[in-house]
Amino acid sequence: MFKKIVLASAILCGGVIAQEVPITGSVESKCIVQTDTIGIYGNPTPSSLTTMSTGGGVTPIVRFDVIQASFYKARITTPNGFSESPALSDVVTWTGDVAVGEVSDANMSAYSTSKVVYDNTTEIDLTIAGSTWFNITSTADYGYDTALPAGTYRAVVSAECIAL
Amino acid sequence: MILLVALSSDGSSHQWTPTYPTLKNSYVSGVFSTRMELFNARTDVSYYQVGVFDVDFKAVPFAAAEKILKIEHLGRRSIDIFIRNKDAERAVYICSKSKLLSKGSATTSISSRICSKIK
Repeated sequence: MFKKIVLASAILCGGVIAQEVPITGSVESKCIVQTDTIGIYGNPTPSSLTTMSTGGGVTPIVRFDVIQASFYKARITTPNGFSESPALSDVVTWTGDVAVGEVSDANMSAYSTSKVVYDNTTEIDLTIAGSTWFNITSTADYGYDTALPAGTYRAVVSAECIAL
Repeated sequence: MILLVALSSDGSSHQWTPTYPTLKNSYVSGVFSTRMELFNARTDVSYYQVGVFDVDFKAVPFAAAEKILKIEHLGRRSIDIFIRNKDAERAVYICSKSKLLSKGSATTSISSRICSKIK
């Protein structure tokens, strides 16, 4: 009789023993700023430098990856001064542009029209998850057809990802 | 999509998380803190500057063990940010910005900055 009670207790206990297996995960919106191509200034005329391929330059390309939509905005600022150059005695006129290049989602082409441009800065709300490549052009014209002095010229493009 | 993001991490990128940090009481009275993490996958950058800003991107005083972090390629660093209670109300963004070294080459460079928003 005692053995039967012990056996029944063991079976009952076995029926209620359970292992809790926790499942954890983290979901986080994240923005990655990826330097795709470092630009190079071409010198198509003595008075100008440009990153446009038509002028012998290489267009800088930066990619923004967002895992979740509408959590970030991209802010790209084209140069309005050289970070390194020979001494310049005349005025440099800067122009720049930010264009949507390749996209991982066709709807991202709407960024071309929804972007906000002020001064030398372009802001785009990243409303679609995925990757967007931005092609950045920068042109510097020196004086009034004045030849740029020989030397090294360097400028910085700022690519920012700001949480909304 | 996951593959795309995973592949993107292998290039020259910069990550700054969490996206929405929260300020908590620190071990110092009257000071809030939060922990941020920086991942450097940029081959051309080894230094990043941390900053705290208000809604207009004006600098807000803060303290950290280092304000310019040296992080090797594919390195990851955590940093504790300390903000006084009186400054916490106007602190909105915590940002990391790549610092570019001066080099003698005729190129443009890309400076990346990622800003997290304090919730």
